[in-house]
This record gives sequence, structure tokens and C-alpha cells, in this order.
Amino acid sequence: MKKKLAVLMSLTLVFTILAGCGSKSSNSGTSADGVTTIEFWAAPNPTQQAYWQKIAKEYETVNPKVKINVSAIKESPTSEASIQAAIAGGSAPTMTENISRGFAAQLANSKALVPLDTIAGFSDIVTKRNMTKTIEPWEFADGHQYVLPIYSNAMLFGWRTDILKEAGVNEVPRTYSEVIEATKKLKAKYPDKYLWAKPDLADPTSWKRWFDFFMLYNAASDGNKFIEGSQFVGDEKAGVDVLTFVDNLRKEKGLLSQNVTEPFENGVGVFTDVGPWTFSTWAEKYPELQYKENFEVSLPPVPDGMDPANAKTFADAKGIVIYASASPEQQAAAIEFIKWVYSDDQNDVAFFQETNLPPARDDVGTNEVFKPVFEKTPVLQEYAKAIPNAVPSMDNPKFNELQTFIGQEAFNKIVRGEIDPKTGWDNMKKAIEGELQ
Amino acid sequence: MEKNNNRLGWLFASPYLIFSTVFFLGPLIWSLYLSFTNWDLISPTYDFVGFKNFTKALGTPGVRSAFWVTYKFMIVFVPIVTAMSLFVAVIVKGLPKLKSVFLIGFFLPYLSSGVVASLIVKGFLSHTSPVQTFLRERLGLDIDWLGGSFSALFVVAMIMAWKFTGYYALILTSGLESIDQEVYEAAAIDGVKDSQRFWKITLPLLYPAIYTTLILSFGATFGIFTEVYQLTGGGPNYATNTWQMEIYSQAFKNLQAGYASAIAIMAAVATFISIFVIRKILEMWGKRNGWV
Repeated sequence: MKKKLAVLMSLTLVFTILAGCGSKSSNSGTSADGVTTIEFWAAPNPTQQAYWQKIAKEYETVNPKVKINVSAIKESPTSEASIQAAIAGGSAPTMTENISRGFAAQLANSKALVPLDTIAGFSDIVTKRNMTKTIEPWEFADGHQYVLPIYSNAMLFGWRTDILKEAGVNEVPRTYSEVIEATKKLKAKYPDKYLWAKPDLADPTSWKRWFDFFMLYNAASDGNKFIEGSQFVGDEKAGVDVLTFVDNLRKEKGLLSQNVTEPFENGVGVFTDVGPWTFSTWAEKYPELQYKENFEVSLPPVPDGMDPANAKTFADAKGIVIYASASPEQQAAAIEFIKWVYSDDQNDVAFFQETNLPPARDDVGTNEVFKPVFEKTPVLQEYAKAIPNAVPSMDNPKFNELQTFIGQEAFNKIVRGEIDPKTGWDNMKKAIEGELQ
Repeated sequence: MEKNNNRLGWLFASPYLIFSTVFFLGPLIWSLYLSFTNWDLISPTYDFVGFKNFTKALGTPGVRSAFWVTYKFMIVFVPIVTAMSLFVAVIVKGLPKLKSVFLIGFFLPYLSSGVVASLIVKGFLSHTSPVQTFLRERLGLDIDWLGGSFSALFVVAMIMAWKFTGYYALILTSGLESIDQEVYEAAAIDGVKDSQRFWKITLPLLYPAIYTTLILSFGATFGIFTEVYQLTGGGPNYATNTWQMEIYSQAFKNLQAGYASAIAIMAAVATFISIFVIRKILEMWGKRNGWV
């Protein structure tokens, strides 16, 4: 009896522990009454989450056979890591937004994504939404489309024109020598202020290079791809020019990479990358920051001798993916939902209004339906105008390692004055080529 | 009767054995297996790559830095935390009353979240914080605490020391309390001066407790992650890149679970060997002085 009791207790313990470990579901997502449930993870941005929750509810009223659970992607430690952990743990959602081209390449390489172009109805979405040209650069090396881009931000630099004017700089600097000149005037007037104050400048985290190195590099190289397939094709002259520019800013004491709270908003720095999502935050938190009154936005500065009017910049573009682990019923329901959303231009207008993120469409700058959005927030016109100048991120599945090398071997060291620009570029190139082999 | 006792013993030990099998032995074997593959954490397929992950790891600056940074942390962290916990223990021991209240106060940081502590320190060291502004404007010191190789390491070591001081002080206080007062009285009769009391009596009799705290503090340096992750991300230029940080980066940032497993195995080997050597040195130290 005692032996049986001991065995029973041991087995109970084992099964209790194992039951706690296993959470993988073989559920097709469709219930007995024919309702298919989709798990949709929206971007960890309150405005995007609110938009998708609202639109999902509307869709459920139109199509009661589909239930869409919208929740935000967990940001701890990063949204990418949360998605990876969910896939590894067998609890991936049906679909998520907020997927960059580089991360999609990682996921596609691991067979975690559904090639959207193989699902019936995908081409209808592209045509109806007027995004034939916009989606072209999103094609992957294997010829498939894994991401439906939702928005495309041509990243711009913001300038605190109020502080610059006080320092005697009346025009937004557009070339490297103009920026250096402005830095000298700024430091002469305000020794405690910096041209570019941003802790990320010294942080090697890969995605941070999109908002400093790549913005400047795309402008200096006229949109060179940097990495094409598994080849490093970086433009050395442009790269060294960028690093030299940053080095010169450091020499003029124009850089601050220490931890500091919202330096641009608080006037510690007068220049920084600004995405369109920022303006709704500023409206609430920094209402004194008014476009054309105390700040302006511009394309990145370019090396002397280049035309700054058409400078290229980085495209912070993200989109929706569907996961291979979802059941066929869920995949079909997901694509039908997307099809429904993008069959009506007003849904894109609502997205733009709610989030300030320009929809990834060919006609965002010309279609009259978006006019009210630009009237309400005029600065967004600058972002819409810059869309043709915006270069998307690389689609290499090793983008994380590769971009980390840019910081570790070159950019971060230049910011800290530990290396000269040419050596930095050479070291970075060597590390990247080693990783690509 | 003996047979029944054995069964009962196994029954009582079974929760621990099951727990260890599921959460320690299983993952260890799985990690060892993964270290010979190129699995990327999410792909359904992967290949066996032999010792490629290990040879690759040996040549990377990330792994090399993880190896050396751990010892650099030891050099800074262990003396500081030992001195601080010893100081706290001696002070608390001398208190006339409310000893446990003070000990709990010192112990609280150990229970606090490393994330919260790191964020507070980050704000404290911010360029525009009152402390930094004071240093800059009054003393002309503009220090980029988290941007300098040594200062970043020092800051992390100090947070760790703050966190662990109370815990080690608790152990040392117990050690101090266990020293019989009569030993001091006998020593006084034998002519031991007050200034010699600590070195001649307290330290030798406290050696077992000091040995424990030293082993624990050396061991703690192999597990540093939260503070580094929150404050420096392993930088600047790998200056604070610990084993845990490197494993995390490779597994969850670069999606190289197989490679990260190889690094984890290397970290485990480095940890076991280091702790073994440190133990031997401490034992030799104790024996040479006749403390054990």
C-alpha cells in the first residue's frame, strides 16, 4: 500500500510539472460552431493597438465566423525576442504587425513565416491598396513576399530652430560643413548644449544604427544597399565620409552619448532623428514644441558637394506577417481579414490619423483622402514627400550581427574618439565580411 | 524497517530529484546536445556541426571579453563587497539592541529588483541629474560613467556590492555571534592588545564564514546579467560583457541557440574550474595560517 502511495505521489508530481511545462496546442483555431479564432499581435504602441482593436471589432460584426484577439506584442526584452520566444515555445500567434524587413528575413530563413504571395487573394490586396511599387523592394531573395508593409516612415532629422537661431544659425544646415559651422556657433553661445545628444550613439544594439549610421550613410551614398544578398557592397567613400563627419562633430564637442532624458525635447541637443510617431507624444508631453515655430524636420545632411534636396534616408517600414504554425483555417481567415481592411481607403486614413504613420501606399502623397490628415498635422507632409527617398533595411537574416558590427567596430568607437574613421570602416568591413562567409 | 526507511527517504527526496531532473539535468543534456548543432531557436530543422561552435566561440571578441570581464569584476567586486559586509557585520554586532532590524535593512537590497536598482542608478548618473550637474558645474568633472571601460565596470560592481552586502553581512554576523566571548577574555589575560583582537582572534575564528562569503561572491561574478543588460548592454566595447550577457545576445538577439549553448557550456566549465581553484587557494590560505 505504502509502495503504491509512493509511486502515485511521484507520478502526480512528474505529471504536474510536465503539464506546467507543456503549452503547445494542436488546436486548429476553429470551434465546433465554425468560428475561427485569430491571435493578432499588434505593435507595442498604444495608438496602433487601439486602431487594430477597433478594426477587429468592426470586422467581427461583418464576419461573425471570425474572432480576432488583438493584443500588443510584449516589449520585454524586445518585441522581436518575444516573438521568437513564442515561436520557440509553440505559442506563436496567427499574425503580427511591426515586422521589419530584416527581422522578416530571419523568420523566413527559419521557415516560420507563410509566403503571403502563395495565399489566394494576396495580389488583390496589393492592387486594391495601390501599393504595387511600394511592395516591390520587399520581395525576398527567394522571390516570395513574406511581409505586407503597413507603413513606411522616411526617417527625418529634427532641428531645434529656436536654439539654433539664438546661436546665430538662421537656416537649417544641410551639408556637413554647414552642420560643423552650426556646431561651432552653438558651442560658442551655449557650451553646455550639444548638436547631437543621444545615448544610443554609443550603444552597439543593432537596430540603433538605422537611426544614426544608416540615415547618414543612405544620404552620403545615394541609397547604396550596403549588403546585397550575402555580399558586402558598402560604398567606402560614403562610409568614411559619414564616420569623418561624426568624428568632426565629436572634435567640436558636438556629441553627447551619456544617458540623458529626452535631450532634444529638453534642449540639451538641437539635432536628432525624428519619426512621425513622435508628434502625438509631443502634443501631449511637450505642447510647446511646434512645427516651424521652434523645430523643423529635414532630410539627412550630406557631404559637401552633394545635393541635399534629394538626399536619401532610412525607411523605417514595418508590416504584417502570418506564421507558418497557424492552422490553414487561421491563415485563410487572416488573409481575408487583411483583404477586408485594405479594401477600403478609409481604413488607411484612420490608421494614418490615429498613429501618424504614413500608410505604405504608392499614392499617400497624392490621394485626396489623406488631405485631412496633412491639414491636421502639417509636418507629416514632409514625411510623405520623402517616401521616394527612403531606403528600406537590409533583408539579410544575419542583420542583427551585421548591424552590431557597425556600432562595435566603427560608429560607437568614433563617437567615443577611440578610432579614426578609415580604420573604423576597415575593421567594420572585415568583421561584416567574416560574418557573411 | 531499514527498507521502509529507504523508501520513505526516496519519497521525501523525490520532489527535489524530479525538480533537478526536469529543470537542471534535462536542460543540461539538451544544452550539451544543442551545442553541437546550428539550431537557430525557431527553425524546425538544423544540422550537426561538430565542434564548430566551440572553435568559433574561442575566436570571437564577445567570448574572450566574457572570460576576462568576469575576472575583472572579481577584482573590483569581491574586495569591496567583502570589506563592506565585514564592516556592516562588525557594526551590527556592536549594536546594543535592534540588531535584527538593522540587518533586515541591509538585507533588503538583496531582495530588490536588479532592474529597478539599475534604472535608478541610470537616472542617478544621467548627464542632467543633480549629481552629475553638481560634479560638472562645481568640481569641473564631466564623467561619462557608463561610457568609460573601467567606470562602467565599477558602477556595475558597486550595484552588485550594494545588493549583496546585507546578505553576506548576515552570514558574517552569524559567524561573529558564534565566537565565544570567553575567547576574547582569555586572550586579554594572555596580553593580546585591543588593536590585535581582530587579526589574532576575530579573523581566524570568523574564517569559515569569510570562506563562505568569498566563495559566494566569487561565484556571483559568473552570473552577472541584469545590471549589465540594463545599464551597459555589455559595452562600452565589451568592457562589461559577461558570460550571461554573451549567451543572451547570441541566443536571443542573433538567434543562434546552438552557438549560445556552446558558450554556455564553456561558461560552465570556466566557472567550475575557477571556483575549484579559488576554493583550493582559500583552503591553502586558511591552512597556512592555522585557521582550519
